Amino acid sequence: MKSRTKFFFGDSLIILISLIFIFFTFKNFWHFETGSVVQVNFQGKIYGNFSLFQDRKISLIGNEGESIIEIKSGRTRFKSAPCRNQYCIQQGWIHFTGQMLICIPNELSIEILGKTKAYDSLNY
Amino acid sequence: MTRSIIKIKTTFLDHQIAQLSAIAIGLSLIESVLPSPMPGVKPGIANIITLYAIYHFNFKTAMWVSILRVFASSLILGQFFSPTFMLSLTGSVFSLLTLYFAIKLPSKFFSPISFSIISSFAHIGGQLLLVRIWLIPHASIYYLIPIYSLAALIFGFINGWLTYRLLKDHNSL
Repeated sequence: MKSRTKFFFGDSLIILISLIFIFFTFKNFWHFETGSVVQVNFQGKIYGNFSLFQDRKISLIGNEGESIIEIKSGRTRFKSAPCRNQYCIQQGWIHFTGQMLICIPNELSIEILGKTKAYDSLNY
Repeated sequence: MTRSIIKIKTTFLDHQIAQLSAIAIGLSLIESVLPSPMPGVKPGIANIITLYAIYHFNFKTAMWVSILRVFASSLILGQFFSPTFMLSLTGSVFSLLTLYFAIKLPSKFFSPISFSIISSFAHIGGQLLLVRIWLIPHASIYYLIPIYSLAALIFGFINGWLTYRLLKDHNSL
């Protein structure tokens, strides 16, 4: 004999509350906002802040050679790097706040700035 | 030399607790061999027995079953007093505490499905609290709350539904 599952009012209420809770946790903890400013750190100092909406190429000559940072249509990336592994280039484009690319041989890092910083401090 | 026989007087309730705990331990062991998509996301099928004990017997039995299950399964799996055991214990204590208040809700509107979801949320809540305080004292674990909540809802619902069917078959609802 097949027993039919009874409908309980409270169950649907609990499920609904849980779904709302899950929705809000997703919204609160997984918000990835698009940044508008990129901060370039060069040899332990802030080299400058650049808008992501102005296309430009920044050329920096460090200990290893020349690194080129490219800013294009709200995104940024390392266009060329002097190192052998090219890790920073392989990371591709970034545009969310808190994302960052680091080039350790050339002591260079770029970070998308937002309302809150993703990392407290970085040291080479 | 006289042989001394130590005999502990056991009641009917003790036997019931032992039997239910044995099933719960078995379920825990089955669950421990199942692959998990990420650490902490587990079905928690042993909670079916805890809920069953609440309905079929009383809260005290369920408490014994749950705590005994945590201790015995960790001893069998060799996790006694390891962080895994601590997380398991914290989760169980939190879910039992929540259930203690939740079962006072009117049974006309709330079925085991509700209590299962509530207890799985309490379980993961307690565990995340312990992880935040003790194991990974960093705010980055908040990123995991949505995933764990979703898992709590899904597995809580499935466990609750199974408990409901079980209780229905045993005519104790």
